[in-house]
Amino acid sequence: MAASTRSQVISLYKIMLKESSRFPSYNYRTYALRRVRDAFRANREVEDPKAVERLMDEGEQMLALIQRQVSIGKMYEAQRTVVDAP
Amino acid sequence: MIKNIQMFSYNMAARVLQQCVRSLGRPSLRLCPVNLALRAAVAPAVTVHRPFSFAADSRRTRWLGQSRISSVGLLCRQYGDLPPLTLETIKDRVLYVLKLYDKINPEKLQVTSHFMKDLGLDSLDQVEIIMAMEDEFGFEIPDAEAEKLMTPEEIVQYIADKKDVYE
Repeated sequence: MAASTRSQVISLYKIMLKESSRFPSYNYRTYALRRVRDAFRANREVEDPKAVERLMDEGEQMLALIQRQVSIGKMYEAQRTVVDAP
Repeated sequence: MIKNIQMFSYNMAARVLQQCVRSLGRPSLRLCPVNLALRAAVAPAVTVHRPFSFAADSRRTRWLGQSRISSVGLLCRQYGDLPPLTLETIKDRVLYVLKLYDKINPEKLQVTSHFMKDLGLDSLDQVEIIMAMEDEFGFEIPDAEAEKLMTPEEIVQYIADKKDVYE
């Protein structure tokens, strides 16, 4: 398997941010966005290819988790609160 | 992201409606020629996508033409659409979105300031900026082209290319 390139990391970041912003619930949405941003920023300096590979795999799993939770959240949507967009 | 697009189209729709209401206050004679020109321009596009409705429209216009109603306003067809993009409005919107981003200092922001060299952002911030532009203008920017956009000027040029805005 080829080592994760810079562009793959960038696309994963973009896809995760897009998916996180689809959460219906304000709390989950803001937490997911903040967590994705912080995690990618914290691991910015990692150079070892194996560590990068491992982090990318973890990111893919987190992306799948976010997608599942977004679907569940959309199925059982609660009443809109004041902070949600109209 | 879908909600942002809905918010954006809601805002734009509200602005268009306001413009329509204001323009209806003026004499309708001025409004009509513009809409006839619009109708002529849009009619070919309408035929391509929906031939049935164009046939219905031509039948309707023929009926209206024969009956000659005194009020000129009824002969005009109004189409709902966003206000046309110009280079100036694109530039204003791009700079507005960039000023809202908290990692950018609004005083230092120029049209030609490079994100990485002048403003000290990194590639992750650039991704977030491009996503904000996608939300603002309502169309997807592929990753391959997104990573090349490094100044507000380039973003304006790219959007003008994609939206066929001529200078």
